[in-house]
Amino acid sequence: MNDIKLRQLCFIFAAMLPVTRMIVYPATLAYHAGSDLLLSAALSLALEGLVVGLMLWLARRTRSTFFGLLAENFGDAAARIVYGLFALFFALSALLPLLEQRGFVMQVLYENVPPLICYAPFFGVCFFACTKGLRAVGRVADLSLPVFVLSYAVVILLALPQADFGALLPVVESGARVWRGFAAGPCWYTACLYPLFFLGHVRYERRAAAKVLGAYVAGAAVTLLFLAVFYAVFSDISILQHNSLAQISKYATAFSSLGRVDLLFIFALTLVLAFALCIPVQLSVHCAARALGCRPLLPAAVINAALLALTVFFNTSFREVQQFCTQRLWFVYAAFAYLVPVLALFLKRERPPHGGGSASHLLKRESPPQGAGRRPPLFSIFKKKESHAPCRGKRHGRRAPLLSIFKRKEAHKPQRGRRHGRRAPFLSIFKKKEAHAPQRGRGRTEKRARGRGRRHG
Amino acid sequence: MEEPPKEAQGGQPASEQKTAQGAFKKAAAHKENADQAAADGQTTERGGEQEKGIAAGTAAAETSKEKAACAADVQAKVKEIKRLLPAPDILVYEFSAGDGTPCAAVYADGITDKELMGMLAARPLAERPAPCSREEAKRMLLFPELREADEASACSREILAGNPALVIGGVEGYIILGTKKVALRAVSEPQTSIAVKGPREGFIEDIKTNMGLIRRRLKTPDLMFVMLEAGRRSGTAVAIAYLKGIADERVVKKAEERIRAADIDGVPDSSYIAKFLAERPRSLFKQAGTTEKPDILCAKMLEGRIAVLVDGSPIVLTLPYLLAEDFQSAQDYFVSPYRATASRWLRMGAACTAVFLPAFYVAAELFRLRLLPFDLLMTVAGGVRSIPLSPGLELFFLLLVLEVLIEASVRMPKYVALALSVIGALVLGDTAVKAGLVSSPAIIIVALSGISAYTVPDLTGTLSLVRLAFIVAAGSIGTYGILLLAALLAYYLVTTDSYGVPLLAPFSPLIRSDLKDTLYKAELFSLWHRPRVLRGKNERRLASFGKEGEEMESEVEQEETKSSAEREEMKGAATEEGKDMQEGKGGFQNREKTKSSAEREEMKGATPEEGKDIQEGEGGLQNNKQAGGTSQNREEAGGRPSETP
Repeated sequence: MNDIKLRQLCFIFAAMLPVTRMIVYPATLAYHAGSDLLLSAALSLALEGLVVGLMLWLARRTRSTFFGLLAENFGDAAARIVYGLFALFFALSALLPLLEQRGFVMQVLYENVPPLICYAPFFGVCFFACTKGLRAVGRVADLSLPVFVLSYAVVILLALPQADFGALLPVVESGARVWRGFAAGPCWYTACLYPLFFLGHVRYERRAAAKVLGAYVAGAAVTLLFLAVFYAVFSDISILQHNSLAQISKYATAFSSLGRVDLLFIFALTLVLAFALCIPVQLSVHCAARALGCRPLLPAAVINAALLALTVFFNTSFREVQQFCTQRLWFVYAAFAYLVPVLALFLKRERPPHGGGSASHLLKRESPPQGAGRRPPLFSIFKKKESHAPCRGKRHGRRAPLLSIFKRKEAHKPQRGRRHGRRAPFLSIFKKKEAHAPQRGRGRTEKRARGRGRRHG
Repeated sequence: MEEPPKEAQGGQPASEQKTAQGAFKKAAAHKENADQAAADGQTTERGGEQEKGIAAGTAAAETSKEKAACAADVQAKVKEIKRLLPAPDILVYEFSAGDGTPCAAVYADGITDKELMGMLAARPLAERPAPCSREEAKRMLLFPELREADEASACSREILAGNPALVIGGVEGYIILGTKKVALRAVSEPQTSIAVKGPREGFIEDIKTNMGLIRRRLKTPDLMFVMLEAGRRSGTAVAIAYLKGIADERVVKKAEERIRAADIDGVPDSSYIAKFLAERPRSLFKQAGTTEKPDILCAKMLEGRIAVLVDGSPIVLTLPYLLAEDFQSAQDYFVSPYRATASRWLRMGAACTAVFLPAFYVAAELFRLRLLPFDLLMTVAGGVRSIPLSPGLELFFLLLVLEVLIEASVRMPKYVALALSVIGALVLGDTAVKAGLVSSPAIIIVALSGISAYTVPDLTGTLSLVRLAFIVAAGSIGTYGILLLAALLAYYLVTTDSYGVPLLAPFSPLIRSDLKDTLYKAELFSLWHRPRVLRGKNERRLASFGKEGEEMESEVEQEETKSSAEREEMKGAATEEGKDMQEGKGGFQNREKTKSSAEREEMKGATPEEGKDIQEGEGGLQNNKQAGGTSQNREEAGGRPSETP
C-alpha cells in the first residue's frame, strides 16, 4: 500500500514540485531579489538538491524506513515522538501552499469572489487521497507527468514571444538581494524531506541516485525557466503578479481570436498542483498514523479538518502567514527540512542484506502501523548478522527462520560483491540462463553462438 | 407432449402412475409364473423326466425371480427419480431388453433428443440380451457421451440439463446419455461490436458452442477449461477458459473461488457472475471486460487474460480488466497502425469530450466566460439570454431527455423508432429552442457529448453517469469543482486493482512497453511481448519477424535488459497484491467475500480436492471412475463432463 517506484519519485521531483513554485513564489522572489531572482532560486534549489542527494546516499545504504532507523537507534517511543513532530511539521508546511492555492483558485477560476465553501471540497479529495496510502502519491505522479509537460510547454510557448530577457540583467546586482530572496524561500523548499519518508518504500535500483538527481535537476530547470520567463515578461511589475501561473501567458496575441485557451492548460496545471499539495498532507497523515499506531483514517480526518479550519481562519491572511512562516518560523523549516535529514545520515544503520531483494519485500513482513512499536523483522535479520557483537537482544533471537533464509542464500554465494547482492532478482534471471553455459559471463555469447549454429545447421 | 421413438421395441410413454401400475402388474405376473412353476415342480412325481421338469421349472422360477427383482429394482430407481422430479414434463420411457429385462429412460421433455435416445440407447438394448454391468452397457450403447451416476440426486441434475438417465434392470446405478437438445440460434455477428473488417462470428447462448468457437481458434493443448456451476436453482454451467502457461494461475484460482462462493438462486446472464467476480462490486466502473466475439476473446486470452463463459449468455467476461482495453477495437488490428492510433486518440478525445464538455460549458457560462473567444461569447450570450433555467439545470434537463430517448429507442419496436426520432429531434429539440426553454448552444453541446460517449460503447453507461456528476460539480462549484472531481476520480482509479492489476495500467503505474498497444498501436512485429501488466509467465509472443536471427536476438536481449527493471517493478508491485489475492485479503469486501465463501464452501460440503480435480482438467468418464463419487457428483452438478485439452 505504501510502495513507490523510483520512477514515480523522479516524476514527483520533475513534474509535481515545480508547479507549487509557480503561484506566489515568483512574485515573492521578485519582491525580495528583483532581477536576481534566478540566483536566489538557484541557491534554494541547490541546497534542497544537496539534501535530496544526501537522502539518496542514505537510501543506498539502508533498506529500512526512517521510522525503523529511529526505532533502532533510540527506541520505539522516540521514533513515535519524532514522527509525531514530523506529522505536525508536514501539516504546517502544507498550510501555506494551501492558502496560496486558495487565493489562486479564487482569483483565477472565478470571475466574482466565491464563498470559501467552494474551496472546501479540496479537503474531501485530500482526505480520500490520505486514506489510500503512499502508493497513491506515486501513481498520481505517473499521471501528472504528461499533463504537466504538455501544459507547461504550452504556457511557456505562449508567454515566450512577450518575454524580454534583458530585464534579468545585470546579473548579481546586489548580493544582499540574492540573500533576501534565498531567505524568503524555505517555505517552498521542504520537498527534500520526501525521500527521507519514502525511505524503505522505494526500491533502490542501480544508478537510482543519478536518476532521481537528474529528475530533480530537470524540475529545477523547469522552475528556473519559468521564473526567467515570468520576470522577462513582467519585469518590474512582476511583484504585482501574485498568481504568476495564470498571468504569465495572458498577453499572448492568439487570444483575441481563440479566447483564453491557455486557461485550459492552466486548469490542467491546477490539477497537478492539487496532487502536489496533497503530498505533504498525505505524509503528515502517514507520520501521524505511524506515531499513533493506528489506521490512517482517523489521522486523515483530524488533519484535514484542522487544515480546513486553519484555512477558514486565515482566509484573507495569506501575506501575514507567509511573513510569519518566513520571518519567525524559518528555524523550524530549517531544522525539520534540512537539519534532521542531515542528522539522519549519522544514525546507526545496517547494511542491506546480500541478495536480500527489495526493501519493500522485506518491509511487507513489517507489522502494520499499530505494530510500529514492535521490532520489524528487517532489523532482526541485521541483528542476527551481528552475531559477533557482544550484546544480543532477546528479541533478535525470535527471527531465526528469516535469517536462515538469507544465510542459506549466502551459503551458495560465498564470494559476492555488495552490488551483486543487491541485484538478486535480476541476477537470478540471468543465472537461470547462464546455468547452461559452461562459464559464467559468457552466457549471451554462447547462446548466440548456439543459436547461430542451430540456424545454420 | 411428444411421442417417444417408434423404433424402440416395447417402448411406451407413460405417466408416473401408469408406469408404476404397469410395472407392478408385470412384476406380479412374473412372480405368479414363478410360484406356479415352483408349485408345479413340487407336485410332479419323482423320475427322470420329472426331474428334468423340476430342474427346468426351478431354472424358470429363478429366472422369473431375477426378472421380478430387476423389474422391482428399475421401478424403485425410477420412482426415486420421480420423487425428486415430480414435474409433469419429466417422462419415463420403459422398454425391455432382448432377453426381456426391463429398462427405463427418464428424460425431460423438450430438451432431450428423443430420436437419438431411441436410436442409440433403446434399439441396441432391445436387440440384444441385457448387459450385466455398466461397463458392458456402455460398450453396447456406442454412445459418444456417456457418464455414470450412483445417486438419484445426481441423475436428476443431468435430466434437468437435458441428458436422460438410463436404468437397466440388474445393472447398478444409472447411465447418463448425453442427448441434450436445445434450440439454438445460429452463430452470427453481434449487434454490439460490428466489424467493418475482420471476423463476423459472435458467441451465442450455448456454452458448448462458445467453447467450440474458442477451441477452433486456439488449437493448443494449453487451452484449459474449468467447469463450474453457479446458481442454486438455475444450475447454470460456467466455464473458466485460460491458456496454461500464459495466464496467471492465481487469477484463475481466485475467479474459481469467487464463482464457487457465489450463493445466488439463478444466473440468467454473465453480468450476474461479473458482480461476484468484481473486487469492488459497488464501483461505478466495471471490473471485468466483456466481449461477444471469439476473435477478440482469443486475442485477450493470448495476452494472458482468462475468460468466463456462462451458459445462456453470449457475453463472455475477461479478467483482469484494464480500463485501456475499452479504447481498443478489434478493427485496430486489421487496419494500418497509423489509422488505428488515430482512431484510439479519437476515442480518448471523444470520451473526454463526452465527460468534460458539458461541465466546462456550464462552468464557463456560470463562472468563467473569458474562456470563450469574444465572438463565440457573444453568440452564446445571445442564445442563452432569455433562457429561464440556469445553465446547469438546462444541461441536466437536456441530458435527461437524451437518456430517455436512448432508453426508449432501445426498448421500442423498430417501426415506432422513426416516430420517436421525429418527436425527439423536431418536437423536443426545435420546439423547445423556439419556445425559449433551452438554448441552441446547450443542445449542440449535449448532442456532441451524447454522440461522443458512444465512440467507446463499453463505457457509455459509466461515462453518462460521470458526466452528470461533473455537471453537478460544475454547476455548484465551477471549474474548480470539475478539477477536484477529476482529482478524486484519478485517486480512485489509480488505487483500484482488478485481480492484482491496476485498473489504469499501463498509464499508472507507467509501463512503457505496454503503451505500444494502448496509447498507440505499434506495428504487429513490434509487439514482442504480451502485456507485462498481466504478469503472465510466458512473456514473449513474437519470435522474429523480418530480421536476422542474431539481430533479433540481440534486440530482444536489449529489450529484456531495459525492461527487466519495469518487470521487476511490476512484480514488486504485484507481490503484495498477489499475496493478498492468494490469501484473500484484497480489501475489506474481499475479506468479507472470502470469509463468506469459505463458509459457503463448508455449507456446500465441497472439498478442495474437487476444485483441484477440475482445475487440472480431470474429469470425464474415466476420471469419474477413478475419482469416485465426489468427482462424479461434480460432473453431475456441472451438467457436463470437464473438458480436457
